[in-house]
Amino acid sequence: MPELFIAMVKEEWRVHSTMFGSISFALFPILIFWIAFMGSFLLPLMRQALPAGELSLVLHANYLMLGFMVGAFGLLGAEVMNRRFGQASLLTYSARSLPLSERFIFANFVIKDTLYYFVLWVFPLALGFLLASPFIGVPVTLPLLLSLTLTLSFLSGLCAVFFLSSVYSRSKPALAAILVVIAGAGGALALLTGQNPARYFPPLMLFTTFSWENLVLSCLAIAVLFCISIWLFTPETSDATKHYPDMLTPLARKLSFFPTPPLAAKDLIDMYRSGGMVGQTLFSFAIPLVVIWFFLSLLNGYLPSYGVLLEFAIVTGVIASTMYTWITMFDTYGAYACLPVSVRTLIKSKIASFSVLQLIPAVFVALAALLSGQVLYLVPAVVLCLSISFYSLGITIWLTGLSPSVLVYNVKVMATYLVLIGIVLIILSAVAFAAPFAALAAVILLLPAAFFARLGFAKWEAREQPGF
Amino acid sequence: MTAPAISAAGLTKVYGYLVAVNHVTLSVEKGALFGLLGPNGSGKSTMIKMLTGQIRPTGGTATVLGLDVQQDPIGVRERVGIIPEQETPPSFLSAAEYLQFVGAIRKIPDIKERAAWWFDFLDFADKKDVLCKDLSRGTRQKLMFAQAFIHKPELALIDEPLINFDPIMQHVVKDYLTAYVKAGNTIFLSTHILEVAEEICSGFAILHKGNILHTGTVSDLKTEHRHLDDFFLALVQRDRNA
Repeated sequence: MPELFIAMVKEEWRVHSTMFGSISFALFPILIFWIAFMGSFLLPLMRQALPAGELSLVLHANYLMLGFMVGAFGLLGAEVMNRRFGQASLLTYSARSLPLSERFIFANFVIKDTLYYFVLWVFPLALGFLLASPFIGVPVTLPLLLSLTLTLSFLSGLCAVFFLSSVYSRSKPALAAILVVIAGAGGALALLTGQNPARYFPPLMLFTTFSWENLVLSCLAIAVLFCISIWLFTPETSDATKHYPDMLTPLARKLSFFPTPPLAAKDLIDMYRSGGMVGQTLFSFAIPLVVIWFFLSLLNGYLPSYGVLLEFAIVTGVIASTMYTWITMFDTYGAYACLPVSVRTLIKSKIASFSVLQLIPAVFVALAALLSGQVLYLVPAVVLCLSISFYSLGITIWLTGLSPSVLVYNVKVMATYLVLIGIVLIILSAVAFAAPFAALAAVILLLPAAFFARLGFAKWEAREQPGF
Repeated sequence: MTAPAISAAGLTKVYGYLVAVNHVTLSVEKGALFGLLGPNGSGKSTMIKMLTGQIRPTGGTATVLGLDVQQDPIGVRERVGIIPEQETPPSFLSAAEYLQFVGAIRKIPDIKERAAWWFDFLDFADKKDVLCKDLSRGTRQKLMFAQAFIHKPELALIDEPLINFDPIMQHVVKDYLTAYVKAGNTIFLSTHILEVAEEICSGFAILHKGNILHTGTVSDLKTEHRHLDDFFLALVQRDRNA
């Protein structure tokens, strides 16, 4: 039934183009292409510091993470869309009104996401690399192989999230058991082979050593995850009669030190009841960061002993800043439009909620420092992580106001964000590698963070908010 | 003579090429139950959004309870009650929590007692602990009605307040609105249900394609032995043909 598939692709395009404007959104893959094309010319320089193989590891990790994130959004999409557009509905959630099984729709959804994000992210990157390859002495087959393995990485992330969430919907203890088994298997592999288990990520093995066996293994891993997800998939059934005790009043009382306790309490309740507190932390934070840790630890031989920890703290800081989207994705300003609440008040309240959530990355980085035997650098790592997170938050507020998940695909916003973040990350990485305790100076980033946030207050207070 | 509850002069809203509201000038006296009538897409909701500071007008000025809407939108929203076109209570709060939330924002000390009264009055106490996302549209509308009046505002701007209610609840709400106005308060009601307007409104304006076609009172129409729906249809049809 190709009609459903075609309609889903059209729908995906219209969702994005409605949010960002057709031209602006159409420019997004061109931006990716351009970054890939220009970035390829830096490869000869990078190779002097890092073997090309290690670079490919980071690239595959990024696409695996992209798969995680797209999958997580797909699972929360209906609620996000409803908050963003009012009475919005996606085809994925239309099984009740169409003579189609939920499993069939889910399968179409996965295939649509694969194709759509291939065109959006993978193809432009591979094409940029392909067109640059004759000038940098790279065989033409390499970009082609890369496009295949990056697609497989993306799909692995996507299917892994679907698999884990399907297990989660059936049994939470089973999910915990699976995660323990995965962690145990990774540890055992590392002990047995003496190598980082990330090297055994099938698409990466395929890229490193192309063979039909590796290709079959990569595809099989994805297919198995996909089939089990569909098999375990349970259509969401909402129990309309479920009753909830009042959490708002006691929570607002506990948060009385916040600028607007009821707003902060509402944010936390939103996250808790939507499953976001566990789901987002697991799928958009913990799992991607564990994957990144594995990949970064491959760089141990090329960085100073504390380098991986500090680089991890930097990456964690950037990812931690996306927690702002967690607390803004479930509501629009429209929900507050009939109350005496200004945009400035609302953003300030989100910053307060964001600050509470920063406990998660702080603990995460501290654990990484302890587990990696780098406890000496725990404080610089945590300071680095939180400073970057708040700096990125300031920029995010300035650029996107209360709609970070919507405006991220706007080319101008994305480019400005990348430049402002990129410069700081490069400088901080250099400083941290040269003298790890100098990373404590990152705390100075709180000043530009406050500056950008203030700019954001004025900018978004003056603009008409979406959602009315 | 007291200042009007609502006063708009040349109020205009343009979206790209679409003129949603075109130089509307009107005045609503205190103690009136004023109906803004018009077909779908005529600009009624846009008017309410501008009058409550939810969106900024492209041109013109408006004052509500003596406050300039553009200068002090939060001040306006502190003093009025609003029922928006779409019922959008936060998904993951229960109905009771939402009214607690509104009470906390509006600093209502006896919010629990007031919320309990509204749950009883609108007959949805059995749903007070259900999440807003799981409520039926009618119950969500009840909740939005309660949040608009829970702080006892002297003016309420309400957009299609009866559209999701069953006939019994419509009756209850119409009685409430009539009594509310008799107590000296003001209501600015937008609707395309003309029977409701004819039954409860004192003054009205007919809006079509962003333009005010007519302002008047229901009693004047009755004096002329005319029905509001005939009058409305003739006026809109004439404007369409013009």
